[in-house]
Amino acid sequence: MKLINITTIVLASLVLVACSNNPKISYGDATGVETTNTDFGSTDLQTIAAKLVDDLVSFPPIVKLTADNRPIVFVDKIKNKTTEHIDTESITDTIQTKLLQSGKFRFVDMTAVKQIQDQLQFQMDSGMVDPTKAVAFGKQTGAEFMLYGNMSSIIKRNSDTKDVYYKFTLKLVNLETGILEWASEKEIRKTGEKSFFSL
Amino acid sequence: MKKALLNKFIVVFAVSALSACAVNETATVKVEGQTVTQVIESNSGVLSDNLQIIDTHTGYAGDLLKAQVSIKNDSGDGLSFRYKFKWLDKAGFEIGVDGRPWTPISITSFETRSIQAVAPNASATTFNIQVQN
Repeated sequence: MKLINITTIVLASLVLVACSNNPKISYGDATGVETTNTDFGSTDLQTIAAKLVDDLVSFPPIVKLTADNRPIVFVDKIKNKTTEHIDTESITDTIQTKLLQSGKFRFVDMTAVKQIQDQLQFQMDSGMVDPTKAVAFGKQTGAEFMLYGNMSSIIKRNSDTKDVYYKFTLKLVNLETGILEWASEKEIRKTGEKSFFSL
Repeated sequence: MKKALLNKFIVVFAVSALSACAVNETATVKVEGQTVTQVIESNSGVLSDNLQIIDTHTGYAGDLLKAQVSIKNDSGDGLSFRYKFKWLDKAGFEIGVDGRPWTPISITSFETRSIQAVAPNASATTFNIQVQN
């Protein structure tokens, strides 16, 4: 019995020593695969954004549309139909950033309308800005397209396993004609099994 | 009873500690312009022994470079790993550093799967694909 205890301590010490180089706090790869649990995570956000942006910029009618023009797009909120709290604005922010960087689209930022209005008002009314250099009201460009979508999930579980299925749908509609010009989906399946420790 | 529990604990502890120390490896394939050259750089050979890049296609969506890579699992076991595309401009500078995530993928034994990506902008002329276990 004593021998087993000594062996246990020696083995545990060896394993701890082998891994003791890892500090308690460390910086990781922000693009790395995160599998802490089955909840919506950074890997899901990044793969959704990458897939949908790839689909949009390579869709033949969109390729034609953006060949010598950078359409102006407005991003609406994504409806979160899942049972989780998910910051869908963060997903659309990433998609918007990637589309802007592709050089294929331009955006009007509806989240900054109030601040823009306040700034224009300041330039017009404060008396502090040279009127010949003040930005004029009523010169902004309207969006031609709207990007919007849904996010839904199906969760199933039994005593040992939890299966989560996410579906993110993104659509691009022509604001003038109302025609849906493009739509795409990204599906994600995550399965979590109870760890040996919790048995 | 106590001894059995103790032994179980030792095994689980050792396995989880070893998993925490697992080493990643990277394999890279480069495709440059019209000339497709595949360079597999591997640290340990685990993935390059089991995975084979059997086909590479490049094309354009407008002026954006599009890539498709077919990966075959040459082993008798299913493999789960992750991959990442990196895009480079003419001068060799990486475009949109950390712009693409490591994407998880599973391939059953002797199966071939294709993965695709589109360059982040028109300045991309070359891409790398990195594979990590």
